[in-house]
Amino acid sequence: MAVHKRGYRGYAGQLTPLWSRCWIVTRYAFKNVFQWKLLTSFFYACFIFPLTCAAGIYVNHSTRLLVMFGVRSLFDVDAGFFFQFLRVQGSLAFILTALVGPGLVSPDLANNALPLYFCRPLSRAAHVAGKMMILVSLLSLITWVPAILLFLIQSSLAGWSWMWANLWLPAGVFLGSAIQILVFSVLALALSAWIKRKLAAGAALLAVFFFGAGFAEAVDAVLGTHKGALLNISRLILTVQAQLFRQPWRSPISAGSAWMALLAVSGICLWLLARKVRAYEVVRG
Amino acid sequence: MNDAAPDKRIVFEDVSKFYGEVLGVNRVNLSIPPGITSLVGPNGSGKTTLMNLMTGLVEPTRGRIRVLGLSPRQPEQLFRRLGYCTQYDSFPRGLTGYQFVYSYLRLSGRGHAEAEELAVQAIERVNLGEAAHRSIASYSKGMRQRIKLAQAICHNPTVLVLDEPLNGLDPLIRAETIALFRALAAQGLHLIISSHVLHEVDVISDQVVLLSNGYVVAEGEIRGVRDEIQEHPMQILIRCNNPGALASQVFLQDYVVEARLHHDGGGLLVKTRDADRFYLLLNRIAQNGIDIESVAPADDDVLSVYEYLIGTEEPSK
Amino acid sequence: MVPVIELEGLGVRFWQRNILQDLRCTLSGRAIGLLGPNGAGKSTLINTLLGFYPVAAGTARVFGYDIRTQTMQIRSLTGYMPETDCFIAHMTAVSFVRMMAELSGLPSSAALERAHEALFYVGLGEARYRKLGTYSLGMKQLAKLAQAIAHGPKLIILDEPTNGLDPPARQRMIRLIHEMRDSRELQILLCSHLLRDVEETCDEVLILKDGRQVHYANLEEERRTNKRFLELETVGDDGGFAEAVENLGCACAVTSGKRMKIVLPESFVMRDLYRLAEARNVQIRRMNYRRDSLEDIFLKAMENSNGRS
Repeated sequence: MAVHKRGYRGYAGQLTPLWSRCWIVTRYAFKNVFQWKLLTSFFYACFIFPLTCAAGIYVNHSTRLLVMFGVRSLFDVDAGFFFQFLRVQGSLAFILTALVGPGLVSPDLANNALPLYFCRPLSRAAHVAGKMMILVSLLSLITWVPAILLFLIQSSLAGWSWMWANLWLPAGVFLGSAIQILVFSVLALALSAWIKRKLAAGAALLAVFFFGAGFAEAVDAVLGTHKGALLNISRLILTVQAQLFRQPWRSPISAGSAWMALLAVSGICLWLLARKVRAYEVVRG
Repeated sequence: MNDAAPDKRIVFEDVSKFYGEVLGVNRVNLSIPPGITSLVGPNGSGKTTLMNLMTGLVEPTRGRIRVLGLSPRQPEQLFRRLGYCTQYDSFPRGLTGYQFVYSYLRLSGRGHAEAEELAVQAIERVNLGEAAHRSIASYSKGMRQRIKLAQAICHNPTVLVLDEPLNGLDPLIRAETIALFRALAAQGLHLIISSHVLHEVDVISDQVVLLSNGYVVAEGEIRGVRDEIQEHPMQILIRCNNPGALASQVFLQDYVVEARLHHDGGGLLVKTRDADRFYLLLNRIAQNGIDIESVAPADDDVLSVYEYLIGTEEPSK
Repeated sequence: MVPVIELEGLGVRFWQRNILQDLRCTLSGRAIGLLGPNGAGKSTLINTLLGFYPVAAGTARVFGYDIRTQTMQIRSLTGYMPETDCFIAHMTAVSFVRMMAELSGLPSSAALERAHEALFYVGLGEARYRKLGTYSLGMKQLAKLAQAIAHGPKLIILDEPTNGLDPPARQRMIRLIHEMRDSRELQILLCSHLLRDVEETCDEVLILKDGRQVHYANLEEERRTNKRFLELETVGDDGGFAEAVENLGCACAVTSGKRMKIVLPESFVMRDLYRLAEARNVQIRRMNYRRDSLEDIFLKAMENSNGRS
């Protein structure tokens, strides 16, 4: 028999590599995100449209089913198709951001947990990257990942020649989604960092988009220009995507300025994040 | 506690306070004389409830309270004689320290000149003269604590109710504030102070009130309270060069119930039912070959009384 | 002993103000106390050692690592228990401590084991499966301590660990700190306003004021020296005891009521004092050699610095 005393003892085992630490933040945030049933259901619901499109593509290449429906083809799988697909999934992505985003940084700030993160070998960039990964992965899963899968399905059914002709499409899909995901993510994180309450942060995100549009129109009307559209983020994203998919799109601003404006917005949000996400709060006085 | 007349005391007669079903305090009977009285007890034991009852911020469900003859149901009269310093750290926004104290004085009906004079005096007493005209938002925690104190004493009350007044103060300011309390007590004020730092309570209080789960478990002067706890014999720690020999000698007496060698081998912890006889015995033993280095009562203080009467509870409650 | 913290002319500036200036010291005790009035720079020093603030002048080392260039190594070896409330309301104590341990480098399964061990050690029983948002103040402090020790650091920094705790919780916290110190597995930097706690726990003390270092005291050494005074508390003395003591050749001062302070001559023998007590039927209830307590050291240091500045 032996009596075991439980005192304090140190840790002498292996340590995980430094670069992998930011994934820990992501993992725990994922656990927290999927605790909310509404969000989980909505996330799954975002796959309904891609699945429908996949079914449609299959029907397009099945003579038997086409005869049954009495049409020559349901729809054309071309640049226009992908453009519209990204528009639909893009709006869903926006709603997903509004649901997930606010709860990412604000719980850490609400009760001052940041010093505990940063007294560990975790840099501020790794922390923010870890949080962004959640949004980036979730949004990717409902935007460019299903789009590319649809492209592959179409290629496998339509043949090599079709794929060669349209090889620029996946690149456009990826870039178009990437800029959208980037802007949504940093905007949501920045608002979550500056606005302590989750509901208010979510509302602020909606406001930035919808009131931004209204504000842009107002600026146009007052200043008599068309440059107000630079403030309308959803417009900017559409302009960029339209150019990538070579779609006709009337826009008062060029695609180049749209890219610049979006990158500027992302830069500002990252700067705002850097100001808030730190181990201590600096108070003047 | 029977020497002062009833209207020189704070009296609780069979007072109970319930918040719906939740117990605040139950059947409290107290008669508090002038001097420094400390309220001691775990969180949730009823200390803040007792203070709120005294100041009239809540009404008792049952029983009667008299503060120097006045009833807390007459706040106008009561607050002329009473000053209250809460434990909460919030202030009206945008005020400077001086304005905070001054406006309180004006609100109680004093004219401008009088209010100014009293405000300046109170601020000087807590040593905040230099920072008086800075906004409270820029104060450190210790300074905020002190300006609250200034507001409580500015109208020269005869009763001071202070909820954890030393919280967050650094050692120097602690010592100064304790000296201020002593000075006020010497003038005949009633100071009711709640605190968690028991070794300080020992040093500054004239009497203590121990609370647990809404009941008054003990009250009075510490030494008197300790003597009444018969189930726990007095413990005395004696450090000497030969604790074993000391032990064998003290065991010869029947009023020594236990002698324990200290774990570092240099002392003896004695439990005795009769402290007086034991100490006189020690005088004799100390001359016969045993070199005594130090003598200290091990449980003659608030901490020990607390542990005996209230005990140590599980943290996950 | 390997020095824990070495300050080499450390200076920190903020918005044109010198918050810390010219700190020079080597600290190597099992438990180190950091004292000073409010605004002295204690939190700034801790934040600088953890790499939160940039260094403006000089440098400092923790376990030999330079705080300017090897911040990550230092953070791997330290645990921090801040003074303010620090928690994530929607996480349970186990998840929280586990995540913090993983962020400090422990593999996931080891982190889970050590999280449970740490929570058990600090005394959080079933409550560990509840969310931190539902915890009382005492429990939050214990959870903070658990996250500071779960990854087995070599140095833990405790900033006012007993803040707001009621007496039994205070005792428990102090006892835990003493146990950790005595286990010799780690070293402690304790920052507190309660001098008694620091005195009972630490063997070295650094005192700051206005960003400068005003005193360094090695309490171990102080405890071994200085036996020339005696403090007494008596019962049964009808007034003549002090005089009788003086006849022994000691200078005697009655401080308050029954307490007196005696200056001992070279030839003093304790036996004589007790002989006197027996003869006069006086009980010596309390007796100890007086040495400068931490309070005296602190007050002296403050006075000296006032004189200088």
